Amino acid sequence: MTYTDPKDIQTPVNLEEFEEESRQSSKDARRQPGFLPIETNWFDRLFISVVIWVALSLVWLRFLEPAGLPLMISNAISIAIAITIIWKG
Amino acid sequence: MHSNRLGWLLLAPTLVILFFFGVVPFFYVLWLSFHQWNPFAANPDIVFNGADNFRALVFDAGFLASLGVTLAFVFFAVVSELIIGYALAQAFMKDFPGKAIFRTIHTLPLIMAPIIVGSIWKLMTTPSIGIIPSLLDSWFGFDLNIGTSAVAAFTVTVIMDIWHWTPLVTLTLIAALVSLPSDPFEQAQIDGANKRQIFWHITLPMIMPAVLATVFIRLMDALRTVDEVLMLTGGGPGSATRYLGVHIFKEVFPRTNYGYGSAISIIVLYLTIVACWLLYVSLIAPRNKKG
Repeated sequence: MTYTDPKDIQTPVNLEEFEEESRQSSKDARRQPGFLPIETNWFDRLFISVVIWVALSLVWLRFLEPAGLPLMISNAISIAIAITIIWKG
Repeated sequence: MHSNRLGWLLLAPTLVILFFFGVVPFFYVLWLSFHQWNPFAANPDIVFNGADNFRALVFDAGFLASLGVTLAFVFFAVVSELIIGYALAQAFMKDFPGKAIFRTIHTLPLIMAPIIVGSIWKLMTTPSIGIIPSLLDSWFGFDLNIGTSAVAAFTVTVIMDIWHWTPLVTLTLIAALVSLPSDPFEQAQIDGANKRQIFWHITLPMIMPAVLATVFIRLMDALRTVDEVLMLTGGGPGSATRYLGVHIFKEVFPRTNYGYGSAISIIVLYLTIVACWLLYVSLIAPRNKKG
């Protein structure tokens, strides 16, 4: 009588389940928790950045540009915010 | 792979139409918003002027006043339509004599062109010939004159919008209410829940996607209202009903100020998208919050 180690017994693998699990884990890896209070993908974060850029530009044109601060500063701040949101959001 | 190619092939006509009638005009208007273009001015050429149109826009008292009255109009119209639409949808869920006829009559405003709605309301509210001022005067001694009273003009445009678009809300909510399963309601009744609890904890969460879709449609429509109001009040008296759509119309067509009109259009589009997004985030996103 031969002895079989339990480790050597091959159990049937559900390939579909395995693929689904691996897909899920790679998706989870991409979905790192950020500082935004909602779950977002990169397009959501790009959208939020554009919304903030437009709002900041309009506020800048109305209140800060007449005080002598050029619009380029607002654009630079918006780009910095956009990079932060897309990268860390 | 084959089915994927077939899918794209079937989608192609729609995508082509969408590209030429949606995407191209959008980028054209966006491009135009950074230019000065008045074909009937001393210089009829299209001249790049950077952010000058937006710079003028944030200081334009007419635009800012128009934005204020538009937001007030949208708020009163959409909230009223939602409340009345839900009440009517609940009424149509019950059986009563003449229900089919009433439902048909109630849906009629929906099939009318906005310009016709504006004409009808103009006829009904003109002080000397209209039935509404006549009845209000004989019943309550109230003098309704939308040509001189800013509040009356604003109120009548809101009521006109409610009259025109509430049937859409009602139909959408009827469809949502009809499709609800009966089990949760029976379960709640067995557990002793009252009507208010059933509404807040069962009905409303279950019809929320339909409510949200309806609010999005009405919000977008109300923000770009033009023809009804232009027909009824022409944006007056003063600028009491000069909503953003009317403001753009008056800026673009009589004054042929295409660059500035494009800038306002882009801002209206921006406001519409942001309003819908904020609504979506506040109502749907909290449920999908990150763990």
